[in-house]
Amino acid sequence: MAATAESLERKDKLEGIGCARKRKEDPRFIQGKGTYIDDIKLPGMVYGALVRSPHAHARIKSINKEKALALPGVITVLTADDLKPLSLHWMPTLGSDVQAVLADEKVGFQMQEVAMVIAEERYIAADGVELVEVEYEELPAIVDPHKSMDADAPIIREDLVGKDEVGHGKRLHDNHIFTWEAGDKDSTDAVFDSAEVTVKEEILNPRVHPCPLETCGCVGSFDKVKGQLTVYMTSQNPHLVRTVLAMLSGLPESKIRVVTNDIGGGFGNKVPVYPGYVVAIVASIVLGRPVKWIESRIENISTTGFARDYHGIGELAADKNGRIKALRFNVLADHGAFNSHVSATKWPAGLFSICTGSYDIPTAHVRVDAVYTNKAPGGVAYRCSLRVTEAVYLIERMIDILAQKLDIDKAEIRRRNFVQPDQFPYNTSLGWTVDSGNYEPALDKVLKAVDYEGLRKEQAEKRANGELMGIGISTFTEIVGAGPTKACDILGIGLFDSCEIRVNPTGSAIARMGTQTQGQGHETTYAQIIATELGIPSEQVQVEEGDTDKAPYGAGTWGSRSTPVGAAAVAKAARKIRDKARKIAAHLLEVSEDDLEWDIDQFKVKGVPDQARTMKEIAMAAYSNVPDGMENGLEAVDYYDPPNFTFPFGAYVCVVDIDPKTGEIKVRRFYALDDCGTRINDMIIDGQVHGGLTEAFAVAMGQLVDFDEDGNLLGNSLMDYFLPTTVETPHWETDYTVTPSPHHPLGAKGVAESPHVGGIPCFSNAVIDALSHLGVTHVDMPHTAHRIWKKLHELGASK
Amino acid sequence: MKVTLDKTYPVSASANAAWEFLQDIKSVASCMPGAEITEQSDGTHFKGMIKVKIGPAVAAFKGDIEVKSIDANKRELILLGKGSDTKGSSSASMLLTASIREVANHQCELVGHSEVTVNGKMASFGGRMMDSISERILAQFADNFANNVIARGEGSVADAAAARVAEAPKELNGLAIVWHFITDFFNKLFSRESKQS
Amino acid sequence: MAKTQVSFNLNGAPVDVLVEPRELLIHVLREQLDQTGSHIGCETSHCGACTVDFNGESVKSCTLFAVQAQGAEVMTVEGLASNGELHPLQQAFMDEHGLQCGYCTPGMLMRSYRFLLENSDPSEIEIREGMSGNLCRCTGYQNIIKSIQKAATVINEAGRDEAKTA
Repeated sequence: MAATAESLERKDKLEGIGCARKRKEDPRFIQGKGTYIDDIKLPGMVYGALVRSPHAHARIKSINKEKALALPGVITVLTADDLKPLSLHWMPTLGSDVQAVLADEKVGFQMQEVAMVIAEERYIAADGVELVEVEYEELPAIVDPHKSMDADAPIIREDLVGKDEVGHGKRLHDNHIFTWEAGDKDSTDAVFDSAEVTVKEEILNPRVHPCPLETCGCVGSFDKVKGQLTVYMTSQNPHLVRTVLAMLSGLPESKIRVVTNDIGGGFGNKVPVYPGYVVAIVASIVLGRPVKWIESRIENISTTGFARDYHGIGELAADKNGRIKALRFNVLADHGAFNSHVSATKWPAGLFSICTGSYDIPTAHVRVDAVYTNKAPGGVAYRCSLRVTEAVYLIERMIDILAQKLDIDKAEIRRRNFVQPDQFPYNTSLGWTVDSGNYEPALDKVLKAVDYEGLRKEQAEKRANGELMGIGISTFTEIVGAGPTKACDILGIGLFDSCEIRVNPTGSAIARMGTQTQGQGHETTYAQIIATELGIPSEQVQVEEGDTDKAPYGAGTWGSRSTPVGAAAVAKAARKIRDKARKIAAHLLEVSEDDLEWDIDQFKVKGVPDQARTMKEIAMAAYSNVPDGMENGLEAVDYYDPPNFTFPFGAYVCVVDIDPKTGEIKVRRFYALDDCGTRINDMIIDGQVHGGLTEAFAVAMGQLVDFDEDGNLLGNSLMDYFLPTTVETPHWETDYTVTPSPHHPLGAKGVAESPHVGGIPCFSNAVIDALSHLGVTHVDMPHTAHRIWKKLHELGASK
Repeated sequence: MKVTLDKTYPVSASANAAWEFLQDIKSVASCMPGAEITEQSDGTHFKGMIKVKIGPAVAAFKGDIEVKSIDANKRELILLGKGSDTKGSSSASMLLTASIREVANHQCELVGHSEVTVNGKMASFGGRMMDSISERILAQFADNFANNVIARGEGSVADAAAARVAEAPKELNGLAIVWHFITDFFNKLFSRESKQS
Repeated sequence: MAKTQVSFNLNGAPVDVLVEPRELLIHVLREQLDQTGSHIGCETSHCGACTVDFNGESVKSCTLFAVQAQGAEVMTVEGLASNGELHPLQQAFMDEHGLQCGYCTPGMLMRSYRFLLENSDPSEIEIREGMSGNLCRCTGYQNIIKSIQKAATVINEAGRDEAKTA
């Protein structure tokens, strides 16, 4: 049906899918009326503060609480001994390991939780921490993961001695966690042995930290009379937390309520269950008073889930035209002292095996060996889509390295290797079925927009002049939307997600989902979907998440899964409602359902357009005039189990100029084209891209969580940890193509992590491209001015 | 975090006098501002304490000192000191080889080779300044050492030295050390510049 | 520690609080005065989430003792709107998508409020430099800059209109 001015007007009023409408959540934030965890104030609330280990590896010889307990205002000091009778001194992690809640006889990383002081006031709790005396016997620390499996390496996890597996297969050493492999080793090795060209490079994804602006925290409150536990928490996945708390506390889930109001940034930092939460909750149950625990920034950077620390060796085998014949990636993964990050049971190395990228690679083999070290636990975090940042970094770097070896243009070599449109659905040699993609037009569009040929000419001229200019390309394929329950689960729970919608008699609606926004705009985007599906203006659709008493069960928001899984549930639930609405409309119009067609916000009788009923009218009828035999009400729930992941992709170009005297890098231009399928709200998508690129810039150019040889943290405050300000952050140019996901009800794929995944290798590729004429094939991140200057100095090129 | 320092300090006294003083562990310990020996378990094992002040925060390090060897011929003493602050938030150990080298009749040198290892908060937050702070601490120590040795002598020189010993700071003031480091740095910078101009 | 009485003007109204000398202004604002709009993002004075307007200057309230506020004029984000009308900056941040999680937003608003009073027609570089004391992890700053540019335009236009009618 052709769009008329009238129907366009009706569509615009809905502000549904495709409308760059302003956000519904903004009014409270711009007036300082958000409700973040530290805003929660309950009657009788007390404060918890943690005593932490100064040593990376040590035995605890004694803990003296006397002085702390003598301080007026200190209520109690909890240690592992206090938690032992409740069997709560250890807890299960989302990675199938166990983690000490409070250090039990030994500590395994600097700043590990040793005791919690609970006091009437925040400042007194801090004073109390200073008064707790702990005596340690220092042990040698393992900081280099390459040494974890040495024959004489000190044992970090004495609690696991004798256990030959920690949830993911046979352990080869006391400091070994798992070895995970995918692909065909034999055929891959054979191809390498006979290849015309091979390239090999050691590539590091250094340890970094997501560092959201709001740190982690919770308020635990136990109602002794009702036997009801309420926990306010910074959690990206409140339902999973509720289930874990039930497992830990013995309370049934029906007596536990986890509430997440507003979160000041997640980025994967707020997925795990941290010891601070558990102790505060236990204390609230024992004391019968609400206990608030909010960590400091230093605690946040030092102890909550870090990201990466993947030490990779990348290899590609190709013919002399740059056509890749095989891929071989080996990774040593440093997980810290506990395997705490979220891991679907079958995927301990996350979705790393997406590392064949956008390319048609006939055979591949990857292997990840994970080990313990005396550092904070973590690994999967920071907009990584579950190790996809590491995977894409490796392949995008390796293809540049191959291009350099063969002296083939870096855009051209990608063209020669792209999976072609007629190959989709494409089965990668590492087991994924990529359902859709259209890589070459995306690359073409980007190269045209930046005048790639002109840039290469300019680069040649500049090089002749001794100047350093680099052009970085990244053509990446993401894998998000965990995930089909037959393929993945966390602690046995499937990774479906859910939506419940209820339409009110006067035509507005309320909807709740199992996902959890941390700034991505769900209150707006989900409302837009419902607006388009149900013909109710998005302004009249109230969206809520985060209260486990109200929202249907879901796995939360991480790995860009809200759009692929959550939004699908939203669409499906809405369509169930529309099905019922059709029946009601038919009843009201006295026609059969087949005589009706849906038009934006109403059901019309085919061929008789003035015979129509709007959703608003149908809603009222649902409560007053339903057909015989039909229940009243107009609502639905959908639990959506995705049939597959989704595969957003993109093409990015970065242009840098490097000062040869100082090593300082200026990002002259960054052009990012993303294909996330159907686009719900352009304004919000652009915002996500800007944010992801800025975090990519931070990782590539300056972030590092570093240690000395004894395991002391170096640079774990904002004095040193690089968070870009307005001054350093480049200007971002965004663009897009649309290749809808064939299996998603809306054709949408998710986008928030793509700029981070695709951005990091793009920056690296640009920096290294600037030095490639000097023979440089790779330099590890972070690309600080000092490191680049040192490299130039080494090469004799720093003039 | 490890720092290795090799330093030589002049002492305006005879090598014998200095060597005698060096073997008196209790007195030597008192040359470190804020430090004292609290217990002697046997000939070579001591327990000690040192108070460090950084602004309003005071940390008290408790430690064990072991005299590893004394060589009268070489006038050399090897000491191992290990301690942690009472809260347990930092720890440090030092292996010190100290010897007295004769220069002239009433002039000698205190030669020190020390390997200092610091862990915990002090390493994380003080790491960058470790070298300069350690140097400063040892310089203060050497000053006191020299003054103490001279004060044991006789005459006005000895009296003057004794007065300096009495005036010496009784506590290790971290901020003062850092302040000196900063002013030193700028002084060096400007003196370099003035040399160039 | 004995408490002291501190009196100052908060968002145009006088307040009295009893504080320990060591209590930071940010804590007193948030907990005693229940103004939770200003946020805490670090403890080293870097992030700017706690930025307030203090005697006509942008000040990080985490780096001020409450006792230093004696007699001061303090404005927090809760005082930006006047007579129920949003400040042009608040409207601009919504119009230009200058916020995502909202945590840095009060600090951004309070800093840009003072910044525009200091420089009413800033270039992009001046805005970037002027706002460099406020960190954001979500937006990449681009839309925050646009929001401030939009607010500047609106404020300047209103000023011209007022001048015309005066």
